[in-house]
Amino acid sequence: MSTVEQTSQLANVIRQHEIEQFYFHESGLLDDRRFDEWIDLFTEDAEYFMPIRRTMSGNDIGREFTKPGEIAFFDDDKKLLASRIKKLGTGRSWSEDPPSRTRHLITNITVLSDDGTEMEVRSNFHVYRTRLHRELDNWVGHRVDRLRRQEGGLMIAHRVIYIDQTILDSANLSVFF
Amino acid sequence: MRRQLKGRQMSILDDLESMVSLSEGTVARAIYSDQEVFDAEIERIYGRSWLFLCHDSQLKESGDFFEAVMGKDNVLVVRQKDGSVAAFLNSCTHRGNAVCRAEEGNARSFLCTYHGWSFGIDGRLKGVPGYKDLYHSDFEKSCYDLVRIAQLDSYRGFWFGTHDAEAPALQDFLGEAGRLGLDQIASRGDMEVIPGIQKFVIKCNWKFAQDNGLDWYHPQVTHASAMREGILPGPKRPSIEHMDQDELTMQDGQALEMARDVGMSGTKFPNVAVLGEYGHSIGGPTTDAHVGEYDPSWRYGDRATAELGEDRTDIAGHPAIFPNIFIAATGQLSLRIPRSPDETEFWWFSFVDKNLDERRRRSTVRAANRVFGPAGILEQDDGENWAQSTMQTYGTASRNVPVLINMGLGRGEVRNEGGLHRIDTVTNEHPQLWMYHCWQKWMMCDSWDELRSSTEPPETI
Repeated sequence: MSTVEQTSQLANVIRQHEIEQFYFHESGLLDDRRFDEWIDLFTEDAEYFMPIRRTMSGNDIGREFTKPGEIAFFDDDKKLLASRIKKLGTGRSWSEDPPSRTRHLITNITVLSDDGTEMEVRSNFHVYRTRLHRELDNWVGHRVDRLRRQEGGLMIAHRVIYIDQTILDSANLSVFF
Repeated sequence: MRRQLKGRQMSILDDLESMVSLSEGTVARAIYSDQEVFDAEIERIYGRSWLFLCHDSQLKESGDFFEAVMGKDNVLVVRQKDGSVAAFLNSCTHRGNAVCRAEEGNARSFLCTYHGWSFGIDGRLKGVPGYKDLYHSDFEKSCYDLVRIAQLDSYRGFWFGTHDAEAPALQDFLGEAGRLGLDQIASRGDMEVIPGIQKFVIKCNWKFAQDNGLDWYHPQVTHASAMREGILPGPKRPSIEHMDQDELTMQDGQALEMARDVGMSGTKFPNVAVLGEYGHSIGGPTTDAHVGEYDPSWRYGDRATAELGEDRTDIAGHPAIFPNIFIAATGQLSLRIPRSPDETEFWWFSFVDKNLDERRRRSTVRAANRVFGPAGILEQDDGENWAQSTMQTYGTASRNVPVLINMGLGRGEVRNEGGLHRIDTVTNEHPQLWMYHCWQKWMMCDSWDELRSSTEPPETI
């Protein structure tokens, strides 16, 4: 392996490490319910989108997920994300009182593209939630993020959350992904 | 006192008369969790009533299909080559296997993947493997077409079906109240379904969800967090000093502090309750209360005035079409599909005027995405109320405590205005009580004539 190749590989390892550390930090903020810090990870122009997945036959499989401009479970900008967090802080957000107990597991982190300013990163998630006595939700899927390099580190400029379930087997989505 | 053990042969269905009291404003909790009641509902209500299937705009091209649910039956609604619509059971006439496993899409034919029987998009049996060699052509293929539902009809683009060939015409079934409910979507413009039906499951009985759609006593408490200043998207709500709030204390001892300035109910909050035949109803504010709608401008246009009638454009509450349609002020339609006594699927259909410019279309879509559905700023706080209410109907002792639906009982003066029975009042529980009264009649009446006459709205409620 040439020195140039080695340098390039080393850069990839460092980049991978940086992204992983970023996601682990983010997951910790969510699981510890530090939402005010979590939202600071998003750029001002951020979009946060969870399309609906549909059970489609092979010939229609290209239409499996809804697109921006269509119906979605989350279709938020940063302002709405901030409203959700403000809502949680009112002390009257009953679907989160008692709070959900979550665990965000992030794996299979893959850099799809990198133009120096922004990276497109795919990762798998498993969000495990229990609430009240025996309420249990398991949400599994993948996210595609656009991570922007800002002064001070990475920020999320765009997040699309692809969930595996079609008929969502949950009473609500009162947590974040 | 010794408790009398119920005889095994005694059926809870013999007791339906006592399950709902229109004079007391009470409902027995057993109707929310008893399996025998649930099974009877599937037969007597979902087996007879007209049920919403899908909207015409979901079936654009020949072969476009949508899988709907009618009681426990899965039904394929399919656009035909000649532009008409057909609806048949998604069940092979050979062994019963589903002939389509997708929830929507486009089909050239429907193939049963068990033995290969193949049906046209019109439901006609076309191909049978070994028809000549193994069956010796012993039967007419036309005897085994997919089974059409008993009746299929549409009102202003909303397709409905019923399993009962004797059911009255859709227009008559809907009546003034049901039609007005659908008009509240249809009269906004040239409406089409925005792609994507939100589907999710709440562990609750379907009736708790359905009566909640008519309930304007709960928003400022259930949705107290969403209604704080600046959280719920949309126009600023008026300041309404609405009701006494003495001794409302949270677990930590602090006052509840209902959202006083953005309240959604109270004495200064004009309401219209509409009671309709067969159990349809509308509950909620008039336009004077200015809530719930992002863009109420459609109400003041010529189209709405002409189609709804000038004296009906002020009805801004939530229509509920019996048994399981809820229409929200956002112009969305929610189906509450019973799966078991304590499990209900929620399907949200969202509509937009296809003539809107891109910016207004986008804001309509965003409004639809943000308020209802599992992550909806409002709806995320509803589900647990209904699930917990359902759970508390199982207890040996708690199931004997009646559900109260008696606010304003006896004070609702019904005015018949061109066939629309309306009560002009303040926050009330009239339409919910009406829904349960009619539920009881659906469960007890054997004939449509009897059902129609016993669900004729009263002069007072």
